Amino acid sequence: MVKEIIVIGAGLAGLTCSVKSASKNMHVKLFSPAHSERSQSVMAMGGINAALNTKGEDDSVNEHYTDTINAGQHINNHNAVEKLTNDAPEIIDWLSKLGTSFTRDDDGNVDVRYFGGQKKMRTAYAGARTGKQILTAINTECRKWEYKDKIKRYIGWRFLSLILDDNKVCRGVVMINENTEEIRDFYADFVVIASGGMNKVFGKISGSLHNDGFVSGKLLHQGIELANMEMIQYHPTTIETPVKRMLITEAARGEGGRLYTLRNGEKWYFMEEWYPEQGALMPRDVVSRSIYRVCHEDNMGIDGENKVYLDLTHLDEKTVKTKLDEVYDVCMNYLNLDPTREPIPVYPGVHYFMGGIRTDDAHKTNIRNLFAIGECSSQYHGANRLGGNSLLGAIHGGWVVADQLEEISCENNSSEEYEILNYEYEAYENWKELQKEANNISSYEIEEEIANIMNRTMGIYRTESELKEGLNKLDSLETIHVNSHGCYYDYILLKSLTDIAKAMLSSALARKESRGAHQRLDYPETNEEYLKTTVISFDNDELKITFNDTEERMSW
Amino acid sequence: MESITVIIKTSKGMKEYTYEGNLNIPVTTLLERINVKHDIKIHYSSSCLQGLCGSCSMIINGLPKLACKTFVNEEATTKKMHKITIEPLSKFHVVKDLVVDRTSMFENIKNSRQWLEEESRINQDNLEFEYEASQCLMCGCCLEACPNYTGEDNYYGAILPVTSSKISKQESDMDKLKFLKENYSNHFYNDCVKSLACENVCPMNIQTQRAISIMNRHSIWKFHKLLKKITE
Ligand SMILES: Cc1cc2nc3c(=O)[nH]c(=O)nc-3n(C[C@H](O)[C@H](O)[C@H](O)COP(=O)(O)OP(=O)(O)OC[C@H]3O[C@@H](n4cnc5c(N)ncnc54)[C@H](O)[C@@H]3O)c2cc1C
Ligand code: SF4
Ligand code: SF4
Ligand code: FES
Repeated sequence: MVKEIIVIGAGLAGLTCSVKSASKNMHVKLFSPAHSERSQSVMAMGGINAALNTKGEDDSVNEHYTDTINAGQHINNHNAVEKLTNDAPEIIDWLSKLGTSFTRDDDGNVDVRYFGGQKKMRTAYAGARTGKQILTAINTECRKWEYKDKIKRYIGWRFLSLILDDNKVCRGVVMINENTEEIRDFYADFVVIASGGMNKVFGKISGSLHNDGFVSGKLLHQGIELANMEMIQYHPTTIETPVKRMLITEAARGEGGRLYTLRNGEKWYFMEEWYPEQGALMPRDVVSRSIYRVCHEDNMGIDGENKVYLDLTHLDEKTVKTKLDEVYDVCMNYLNLDPTREPIPVYPGVHYFMGGIRTDDAHKTNIRNLFAIGECSSQYHGANRLGGNSLLGAIHGGWVVADQLEEISCENNSSEEYEILNYEYEAYENWKELQKEANNISSYEIEEEIANIMNRTMGIYRTESELKEGLNKLDSLETIHVNSHGCYYDYILLKSLTDIAKAMLSSALARKESRGAHQRLDYPETNEEYLKTTVISFDNDELKITFNDTEERMSW
Repeated sequence: MESITVIIKTSKGMKEYTYEGNLNIPVTTLLERINVKHDIKIHYSSSCLQGLCGSCSMIINGLPKLACKTFVNEEATTKKMHKITIEPLSKFHVVKDLVVDRTSMFENIKNSRQWLEEESRINQDNLEFEYEASQCLMCGCCLEACPNYTGEDNYYGAILPVTSSKISKQESDMDKLKFLKENYSNHFYNDCVKSLACENVCPMNIQTQRAISIMNRHSIWKFHKLLKKITE
């Protein structure tokens, strides 16, 4: 019997899982709101980590493992990281064979460079567009399986809910077509969620608008556990533009970019003074906190504002224009600033979610037959992610899951009718009624309010009183009647965003310590008791939090 | 504070909005601000907001462009006339307002079997070109600008040489190379009039003419020459 797989999301994680599953003779239905070219994965510039050890630095898989765990402050799933770092060189080889145009050194090896939190050159890259180049290669492979009818793409479809049977086993999904608002059920032996980060709770962040967190919010509501939701990565170097805060890749520092502010009119390279060994290439949480300290405690931000300078002017112009051409373009286009001549004003901005759908080292969720991979899932990165480890994690997740799908036996799918579809139809009709009311508040306003609450309370430093106040405000938003401009999805999204926001605030409240990306002003110390995964779930409509062993396996 | 007239032409007709404020913003930000200010939803596609994903191509003041990379204050027509005209791409099926369905383009590429049968060949000399071709966003701007592309016949437009030229450099399966060559003749070679329009509008500055000439060379090569080239 050919196994049927549903994959939700067509970024690098979803694509890898689909392609690998198809090559193992499974049938895949691949859903996404838009084609893979539009996914956030294409935005990754800097690189992908693997201990290739081609620079005579005596690098090893072990060191990659250790650096990952240290950066994650020991609450990563250690078993998962072991597999991840072990498989990394093989993944680079696979990508290379698929035709990824990696930058190569003079010996023809895939070139590697320095990245934050790693003392060895370990970050492979493809010019200034690593994500795009890798995605093009896997997407090319995906076409083959589409042509051979092993993968069927559903473009324009968004996830609505899981179909669970009476034993809480996942049987399929209910999806909505964004253009036609058609609501439909799809069945499969296994469902794999690969829907990316929860960007929208913070408004507009460095990543894609498509990744709104809806899937994670809805899953939480349906009994799926989320993990480490308080672990939100602030990337140290983002720039303020009229569009949004945009990222300046860590590669800029990897290639030698320096951070400074002005002290008594003199350039002060604070990172190099505070951390002489790794300077501006310390892990991201450390760099972000340092910039925060310069601006808020030392009051030495440039022009008294929240910014310091990232300086590339001393670098060879050719390096900036070729290896960092994306940085050059972004600065020229969105700041009218030439980074080969002027320093770039930067400040930390929300960038990545270490937390998400709780999975074990096999990427299993707590629901039978449901997996989660890529940025939407949580296992590898602990309290802080190393740059270059998320492209790796996304691909690895797809790879690991496809291997298992081949192995796990599945019972025959019954074709009974499930309540959930009717429930979704009803909810849709209810919304239509609601939209007729006058005086509803604009969904834009609510979205903005949620983002404001999150940015205010879930910054680099957090306190109990602010978190509690944030939770109260979120509660008060729930009773408001919303006008979603004729768009059903925009309406249901708000409920999900609110749930996700609450899960983040509640997790941050519960972790009474400071670790990695989670810093509490009222609990500044790291506490051994919290060498655990924060697990949050709905229990009788109340959010419940437990702290579990980081290596705990799911029971199926 | 400056003020412009924003004209949005969709299948439902033409609507005008007045925008007041900073003009040093891309068209996606302009649309977003109009939506919020007027509490409406003009539908348009966007994802990365920084020219990396190809979602937001639309016709701006008559030319196909990525809306997120097109700054209002840099539009010559807008500077002169204080107005900006925004329309959906015309060569694709319009789904809603400025949103178009580009499935046909992806189908053409899939049916052109644009994938590798064998492991990729690695030749440092080709790397730069392969990298450039891989940058293609599948945004469709080149198809919109092409005088020959209608979306309704056998002519696939510049995306075919762009993807095919890369695949032919990496592929070593002879049958596949032969297929790529034939496919190129059937769906491109005979109809392209070398007007260069595609290269002029490509937001990634992909040298489509270089891709075309690589494929032309492949197509007119005798097969034994191709063989020789590959074993070199
Ligand atoms: C600017 C930038 C630079 C980066 N640079 C690097 C780097 O150099 N190195 C590195 O390792 N990492 C980097 N990252 C992080 C990395 O890009 C992501 O973590 C990674 O690409 C995630 O892959 P993914 O497949 O999980 O998700 P994505 O690529 O985000 O794909 C998610 C998919 O899910 C779909 N989806 C979303 N919501 C729904 C829904 N409701 N229903 C159905 N489908 C849905 C989306 O459309 C998309 O297809 C960077 C991120 C950004 C934003
Ligand atoms: S050169 Fe002209 S005819 Fe040929 S693909 Fe480009 S735009 Fe079309
Ligand atoms: S060749 Fe250029 S214009 Fe054409 S689809 Fe690709 S990126 Fe867009
Ligand atoms: S939104 Fe991605 S290219 Fe414009």
